[in-house]
Amino acid sequence: MLLGGDVQPLAAEAIACGADTVILAEHPLLEPYTTDPQTKVMAGLVLEHKPDMLLLGATPNGRDLAGRLAVRLRTGLTADCTDLTIDEKSGLLVGEVTGFGQGILATIECPRHRPQMATVRPGVFTRPQPDPSRQGDVRLVPVELSEADQRVRVLRRSTSKGVDITQAERLVVGGRGVQGDFALLRKLARLMGADVGASRVAVDQGWVGHDRMIGQTGSITRPKLAIVCGVSGATQFTVGIQDAETVVAINSDREAPIFETADYCIVDDVFQVLAPLIDALEREKAGKKG
Amino acid sequence: MPGLHTIVCLKVVPKSEEVSVDPETRTLDRGNARSEINGQDMNALEAALDLKDTYGGRITILSMGPPFFEPFLRLGLAMGADAAYLMSDRAFGGADTLATSYTLAAGIKAIGGCDLVLCGEESSDGATAQVPPGIAEWLDLPQITYVSRVQVMKKARLLRARRQLQSGYEMVETLLPCVLSVKLGINEPRFLDFQRWEWAMEEAPVTVWTAADLGLDEGYLGLPGSPTAVSSVGAAPSAQRRGEFLSGTPQEEAQQLLERIRPLVRLS
Amino acid sequence: MKRATDEAITLDDAYWERLMAATDGAIAPCFQCGVCTAACPWGLLQDEPANVRQILRRAQLGIPESDGAIWWCATCRACEVMCPRGVPIAEVMLTLRNLAWQDGAVPKGLSSVLWSLHWDGNPWRRPPSQREAWTKGAEVKPFEPTDEILYYVGCTPSYDNRSQKVARALAGVLNAAGVSFGTLGEREPCCGDAAYGLGQHDYLRQIIAANVKLFAEAGVGTLVAVSPHCYDMFLNHYPRENGLQPLHYTQYLAQLIDEERLRFQEPLEAKVTFHDACYLGRRNDVYDPPRQVLAAIPGVTLVEMPRNREDALCCGGGGGRMWMETAAEERFANLRVADAAETGADILATACPHCIACLEDSLKLAGSPMRVMDVAEVAAAALGIGRSAQ
Repeated sequence: MLLGGDVQPLAAEAIACGADTVILAEHPLLEPYTTDPQTKVMAGLVLEHKPDMLLLGATPNGRDLAGRLAVRLRTGLTADCTDLTIDEKSGLLVGEVTGFGQGILATIECPRHRPQMATVRPGVFTRPQPDPSRQGDVRLVPVELSEADQRVRVLRRSTSKGVDITQAERLVVGGRGVQGDFALLRKLARLMGADVGASRVAVDQGWVGHDRMIGQTGSITRPKLAIVCGVSGATQFTVGIQDAETVVAINSDREAPIFETADYCIVDDVFQVLAPLIDALEREKAGKKG
Repeated sequence: MPGLHTIVCLKVVPKSEEVSVDPETRTLDRGNARSEINGQDMNALEAALDLKDTYGGRITILSMGPPFFEPFLRLGLAMGADAAYLMSDRAFGGADTLATSYTLAAGIKAIGGCDLVLCGEESSDGATAQVPPGIAEWLDLPQITYVSRVQVMKKARLLRARRQLQSGYEMVETLLPCVLSVKLGINEPRFLDFQRWEWAMEEAPVTVWTAADLGLDEGYLGLPGSPTAVSSVGAAPSAQRRGEFLSGTPQEEAQQLLERIRPLVRLS
Repeated sequence: MKRATDEAITLDDAYWERLMAATDGAIAPCFQCGVCTAACPWGLLQDEPANVRQILRRAQLGIPESDGAIWWCATCRACEVMCPRGVPIAEVMLTLRNLAWQDGAVPKGLSSVLWSLHWDGNPWRRPPSQREAWTKGAEVKPFEPTDEILYYVGCTPSYDNRSQKVARALAGVLNAAGVSFGTLGEREPCCGDAAYGLGQHDYLRQIIAANVKLFAEAGVGTLVAVSPHCYDMFLNHYPRENGLQPLHYTQYLAQLIDEERLRFQEPLEAKVTFHDACYLGRRNDVYDPPRQVLAAIPGVTLVEMPRNREDALCCGGGGGRMWMETAAEERFANLRVADAAETGADILATACPHCIACLEDSLKLAGSPMRVMDVAEVAAAALGIGRSAQ
């Protein structure tokens, strides 16, 4: 289901990525997202098509919609799943969720109510390679909405440049220890095709924007490589980086807990280590060109 | 026009780091865990107190949970809330988000409604963020989730809020009454006001309600009224890390590091 | 921010009455000589420092403080030493803070410190279950009433990476002297210093009541504290009828040296200067015991900074200042580190976790080769403790 003001161009992409049928619901009141019109239209479509499962992204708007929709449909909702499977015997959707600050894993099912609803944490599943040759069915459905259906109005929206560190393959991360100086970190990131991330302290200090924050209250990332600079490594932070394949920690404090969750550990001044690292990469790059 | 009546939904949660999984029975062991008021709910209460400071009015705390929640609700009264209600009944136990939001919405109706319902965005234990939208739906009120700033134009009964999105934010407005969920850390909850302490601990009204008191629909209560069921519980796996320390001068450390991570770097 | 001098002064009788009741008339003797303002260390660092005399005058008249000046005080008592009228100026500052709490006029971040005390039992927002992390697996046994002393570690040495080393060093020294001691482990409560320093008198009373009960149940007699702040709390703010005997660890080590239970045989060649912590020195007249410990170590040459003992310059970390930010160029410890460097000392020794934190921060800014060490660490080094662990 694609709901919005002008979402038709996305239908082909959805099919290329694996969808068989795309239901398009277009209406000016569906864009930008607000809860009431979206809930009304989606609830109507669900009642009409009676799906077994209804999955939404666990983004702020996805969770805003799912929570309301589940009550309207009087069904069960497994929120913020980190994995989804189908139980072979029962055929039920099994959602894996974390709780208690990520310390506990649980699986949740919705045995007797339909649809089985779940929101899925961004970054948990990799987006499939689009296959432009794939064919599918696109159905444009009529939408009946009036101004009375919209009780919350969006006055304005301010989106910073589309940073999505949940999708980053490489990350250079700065924390309290970089003392507000992200210049070298940005340089290294540019050089090695990485995004810049930050600990909560760095965001609190206003050194970088909130959309770059890693951790429990920021983004859960899963890069192949994360170079973590001057971050002490409080639990709130490490939950956001624990799924990285390789973690490098650079911190002048040998006792910093970040070293307990790192593959390669350097106890030294961040900038003293980054400078020669950048030099070496720049030399290699120049050598390749020359 | 009298001041705003705000209801703040508040949950008491075990300290996350003290909850473990019994490896034998694979059940949650929260027996010895210390409890605290859910952090986001503290932010919701502070937001309500802030509105009360500006516009006057009163604040009612509402919670669903076992009797041991009561002293925690009294802390909220000592911070500046005016009354508290605790919905406490074995029949409420094991509620998922559908049953929880049904019960809390029923509590809000029984209190006699209000101008504004304030909740934390999610609880640290369940972390679903689905209860505030659920409450709004049961009450048929507009909802604004992930709020980081609130402003009320009292005469017009208009509420403006800043909603945090994944990247950026939006400013939205709606008419009162409505349901808001606020993000963790949007404000600094004020500390206890000891001039209110004795009143809050001893005299302040904390009403305890059971399911029967409110004549609730049993089909939506507790575990039996919950469509979802937990099928297994386990401790989250902790990644095994190499923990290799590189040493030498910064140049040598950088060189050793580069040797190890070079395959993962894409020069651009 | 607007100062009251910019506008017509309005006297607030109700505030005046609250103030007089809260301070019990302690400000009345002040005759406005201004020695306090001259003695205040802020004058060494700021062009327009907090005017202590003016704060006292406003308090006498009942004019509420509005520009936050009362929060600058590090409660070091440098002013009180000079005051000819014996006004308990630091206590007056804390009382003014207490009234500010009642009026909801408190700097950002301080409520969170108190909530941390409330939920976690420490001002550092760290889980109570990790209170024993400082031991790093070293064996420290639970306290029993038959032990000679209760080793009271305190919040900062329990959680702060740097001060944890001090706590381990002291445990090593106590073991080397054959002292039977134990800790309260996870049950160890915060002494309440943060609540005291931030002017939360009512909350402090609750903390004390709970701790008195806990200590009585545990059978605590002699209590040896790592931090002068905890020592001061137990000594001057706790009731003593339950037999609680608080000591700062430097006093206890000096006692062990006198009794020849603690002996330093190997020399430690070092020039050491000692920085008096305000809560040890000016507050409690404990000037000699830390120096006795250092002097007992063969090879140690003790040199004094010109400002020492009663005249010592505060590190800036008292009176809740540990939880408030101070601009890098305005830190007392910058001057203190320079004082120490002038003596030519290799080691700047002190005996307070807050002093260590402030002095080390300033040392980093100054880039001096001097080391900041706690007296317990110097003692442990002299005994060869923890050499392999460092």
